Amino acid sequence: MSVRRPGSRNPVPADADDQPVELAVIARQAGVRVTLVRRYLEFGLFEPCSRASHPPLFEPSCASRLAKAERLRRDLGLNFPGAVLACELLDRIRELEEQTH
Amino acid sequence: MAVEYKDYYAVLGVPRDAGQDDIRRAYRKLAREYHPDLNQERDAEERFKEVGEAYEVLSDPDKRDRYDELGAQWRARERASGGGNFEEFFDRQDFGDDVRVEFGDGGFSEFFERLFGDGPPGRTSGPLRGLDREAVLEFSLEDALAGGRRRLSLEDGRSIEVNIPAGVREGQRIRLAGQGADGRDGGPAGDLYLRVRLGPHPTFRRRGEDLDLDLPVAPWEAALGATVPVPTLTGTAQVRVPAGSSSGRRLRLRGRGLPKQGGGHGDLHAIVRITIPKHPSAQERELFEKLGEVSEFDPRKSRA
Repeated sequence: MSVRRPGSRNPVPADADDQPVELAVIARQAGVRVTLVRRYLEFGLFEPCSRASHPPLFEPSCASRLAKAERLRRDLGLNFPGAVLACELLDRIRELEEQTH
Repeated sequence: MAVEYKDYYAVLGVPRDAGQDDIRRAYRKLAREYHPDLNQERDAEERFKEVGEAYEVLSDPDKRDRYDELGAQWRARERASGGGNFEEFFDRQDFGDDVRVEFGDGGFSEFFERLFGDGPPGRTSGPLRGLDREAVLEFSLEDALAGGRRRLSLEDGRSIEVNIPAGVREGQRIRLAGQGADGRDGGPAGDLYLRVRLGPHPTFRRRGEDLDLDLPVAPWEAALGATVPVPTLTGTAQVRVPAGSSSGRRLRLRGRGLPKQGGGHGDLHAIVRITIPKHPSAQERELFEKLGEVSEFDPRKSRA
């Protein structure tokens, strides 16, 4: 059975060497408004690749991190710092699990 | 498709007369436990949705009343008939609503839709990208080196074809954009990450990017030197076994190993294993005996 999912691109692997992107791209890829991303930036969910670049550029992986924080915030009734803290702890768990494997 | 009755009280693990506080507490605890961002178990997402649906009904007094009423009827009917098709049951009820059956990934169960006739409520507000997923994909060493198209079945029953680049490495992550879980409220889908695992190989042993292989060699080949064929991942190479090689000698075939991060390849090591005929012919036996008489070689001499 082969089901092409609506709206998805041709499933060709994109290796994780994507170029940094602007904040608006991160917001679009996460499906949220830019104002929400700025809110998370205030709480340090992620940082621009370089402080020097104008406009600031971000790793594309920030979009999935942003979506994760927002899912946790909405689903569990967390506030912004709580969602950021949860993401940081999840990162820590992942690091530890990778070390032990 | 038969619609299955859902016991929302059992889902939340609360008694039928539970108060709103108990229901909220039970929901919050289970939501944390099964949230798919926090719980990597396969069925966590399913459980999380179920818990959310149960809470949606039981936390709203109107919906709870309606559910309780229906549940009582359903159980009575079940007792009377020894089970039954909920589909028929629904068809005979007049819920007074324009029943909308439209559900999918991220939505509520058909049971919920039939009962309340509306889509997922305001628990999620606004579009949001779906969860990233991860799957392990095992490759033979040959396939990892060569790359190519690969068909894989996803947990949700979809099947996709993927271009695997040549030279994937153990532990490497391949990102398939938009192949993760569906987004909410029209948000983009998450990504699917394939983690590369290299399977065991009948001939080659993997040490990082280097490969080892046992190379059987006849005693006279090892003593006098010989050029012998050695299998590689892409074919066969001719390797010179230097005269005077003992078992364990490593013959390096540079660049015939696995691809390295940042370019280049590891090496293939053919390890000499001197192999003796198990049942030598009379003539072979005679020649070995002669060799034993003539030779002054003592392989254990250096040990003393």
